[in-house]
Amino acid sequence: MSRKAAATRRRAWAATRYHVIGLVTSLLFIAPIAWSMLVSFKSTTEAARPPLPPWPVEGFTTQSYENLAQYGVGIWTYAGNSLSVAAATVVVTVFISLLAGYGFSRFQFPLKNALFVLIISTVMIPFQSILTPLFLILTRLGLQNTLPGIVLIYVTLHLPFSIFMMRNAFDAVPKEIEDAARVDGASVFLMLRRVMLPLVLPGVATVAIFAFLASWNEFLAALILLTDQRKYTLPVMMAAVRSGQFGTIDWGAVQSGVMLMMAPCLGLFLLLQRYYIRGLTAGAVK
Amino acid sequence: MTAETATIELRGVRKSFGPVDVIHKLDLLVKGGEFVVFVGPSGCGKSTLLRMIAGLEDVTDGDILIAGRDVTDLDPAKRGIAMVFQSYALYPHMSVRENLAFGLEIAKVPAAEIRRQVDAAAEVLKIGPLLDRRPGQLSGGQRQRVAIGRAIVRKPLVFLFDEPLSNLDAELRVSMRAEIARLHRELGNTMIYVTHDQTEAMTLADRIVVLRDGRIEQVGSPRAVYENPANLFVAGFIGSPRMNIVDGTCLDGNRVAIGGTEITLEAPIPAAAAEKIKLGVRPEHWSAGQAQDNALPAQVEFAEYLGSTRYVHCRLATGDLITIEQRGGPEALPGENLWLRCDQRAVKFFAASGEARQGS
Repeated sequence: MSRKAAATRRRAWAATRYHVIGLVTSLLFIAPIAWSMLVSFKSTTEAARPPLPPWPVEGFTTQSYENLAQYGVGIWTYAGNSLSVAAATVVVTVFISLLAGYGFSRFQFPLKNALFVLIISTVMIPFQSILTPLFLILTRLGLQNTLPGIVLIYVTLHLPFSIFMMRNAFDAVPKEIEDAARVDGASVFLMLRRVMLPLVLPGVATVAIFAFLASWNEFLAALILLTDQRKYTLPVMMAAVRSGQFGTIDWGAVQSGVMLMMAPCLGLFLLLQRYYIRGLTAGAVK
Repeated sequence: MTAETATIELRGVRKSFGPVDVIHKLDLLVKGGEFVVFVGPSGCGKSTLLRMIAGLEDVTDGDILIAGRDVTDLDPAKRGIAMVFQSYALYPHMSVRENLAFGLEIAKVPAAEIRRQVDAAAEVLKIGPLLDRRPGQLSGGQRQRVAIGRAIVRKPLVFLFDEPLSNLDAELRVSMRAEIARLHRELGNTMIYVTHDQTEAMTLADRIVVLRDGRIEQVGSPRAVYENPANLFVAGFIGSPRMNIVDGTCLDGNRVAIGGTEITLEAPIPAAAAEKIKLGVRPEHWSAGQAQDNALPAQVEFAEYLGSTRYVHCRLATGDLITIEQRGGPEALPGENLWLRCDQRAVKFFAASGEARQGS
C-alpha cells in the first residue's frame, strides 16, 4: 500500500516538474512577444516612459498603430512592397527548386554531382561580401532600386538550400511510383504536377516558409539596393522608425511595427507547420 | 471476357550499363495468351528484362515486338502493356478510384466510361467497398489488388508482374497466387511474371524461363524444367530441397564409382570410361535401408520433420551432403548409418562442365 502511495507521489512530482519547467520555458519565449504587444497598445507618451509595468495603465489605445500607419509614404506601401517581394521570392524559388530538385534527383547527366556540389557550395559565401558586385550587376541590368531586382537577389540566395531540400524530397519518393505513372501514360510534366508534386508538398512547404521568412525579414540587401523611400520594404522602414525623427523615438510605433511584421510569419508557419516538420525529416528514416 | 492475345518476341535483346552487360543477346518468343514466369536468383536480370519489355528501361541492342509490332522505341503507355510492381506503387495521395482511373483520364476516356470500367475492375477484384479509401488505409493484400486493378482497367494486351507477391505474408501469398491464376484464366491475356519464388513459378507458369547472369539457362514447362533440367544450375535452382548432386567416375558401360562404392545402373551411362560425371537425384527418389548391394553408405547428420514428410540430411563417404525425402517409416537418428538407393530411372547425368547428358 505504502509502495503504491510512494509511486503515486513520485508520478505526481514528475508531472509537476514537467509542467513547471515547460511553463517557465514557454514564458521565456512568450514574454518578449507579449511585452511588445502590450507596449504597442500604450499611448505614445506612455510608451516613452520607463517600461514597468509592461501593460498600458492609461488604457488601451491604437494610437501607436495609427502613428505607424502614417509613417513615411504610409505603412501599406511598405507592407505591400514587402509582401510582393516575399511572395514573388517564394513563387520563383519554389518553381526553380522544384524543377532543379527533380532533375538532380531523377536524371543522369554528365557532371551532375559536381554541379550539385557547386550549387550547394555557394552557401558558404557570405552574401554581404558580394553585395558590391551584386549592386553593380543590378545597376548594369537597370534593376537597381527596383523590387524585381531585390527579388532576383533573394531567389539567388535561397536557391542552394531550396534545391537541396527539393532533391531530398524527390529522392524520398519511390521510383516505382514514377514508373507506374509512365506506364499509365503520364508525360514528364503531367507526372510532375499530378503525381510528384503532391508527394513532395512537405518539401515545397519547407522551401516556401524559409524563402518567405528570409525575404520578409531581410534588411541589409534591401537597405543597400533600394534607395527610393517608396520602394522600402518593412525592415528598412522599421529601421527608420527605430532611429526616430527629430531625436525622438516613438517606442509604441516601433512595437506596433514588430507586431505587424510578425503576423504574416506566424500565420504562414501555423498554416504550413504540419508539412514543415515532415519536410525537414523527409528521407531521414524509412 | 477473353481478350485478344498478343505474342511477345525478343530478338537479340541486350542491355548494358556502361561496360557491364546485364542482359546478353537474348531471344525469346512468348505465345499469345501464355503465362510465362521469369525465374532466377537475385541479380540475374529478370526484373531488368521485364522493365525492358515494359519500356521503363532502354534496350541497348535488339528488338522487342508485342503483337507483331516493334515497340522497342515506344513509350510504356503505347506498348499495350500494364505492369504490377512489387511495392504496389500506388499513388498515395489519390483514392483507390482515382488510382484506377488515372491512366484512363490521361488517355482522355470519357468520365462515364471511366466510371464503368473502374467499377467493372473493382467487381472482378472485389475491391468495390474500398474505392473511396486511400492506399495508406489498405492492407498489403488490398493494395496489391488495387495495383492489379489499375492494370486491368487499362485493358492491356500484356500483363507484366514484377514480384507482385514478395511483400505479402505467406498465407496471403497463396490466396493472391490463386487469384492471379484465376485472372489469367478469365482474361486470357499474355502474362509475364517475375519471381524468385519457385513455388509461384511452378504453380502459375505455362512455361518457365530460368535466367542466370543475364542469360537464359532453360525455357520449358514447369514439368520439363523440373524433370529434365538442362544443366546443373537449373537442377539446383528448381526444386526445394534442391536436387542432390553426386560426383562419380564412369567405369564402363553402366557402372559408376562414387567414393569407394561401385554402383551398377540399369541403363548405360552417357559418358566415356574413366570420365568424371555428376549424377543428380532429387530427394524424393531415394530410399534408405540396411546394408545392401548397389547402395551408398551414408551417415545421418540431422533430420527435419515437416508433418507429412521428413527430410533426412546424410553425409556420403565422398563428403557430399545428400537430402532424402521420407514419408513414414522409422525415424532416422543423427549418427545412424544408412544405405541409400536411388530410383534409377530418375537419375540425371551432367558433364563436369554442368551440361545435362541424356541417358538412353
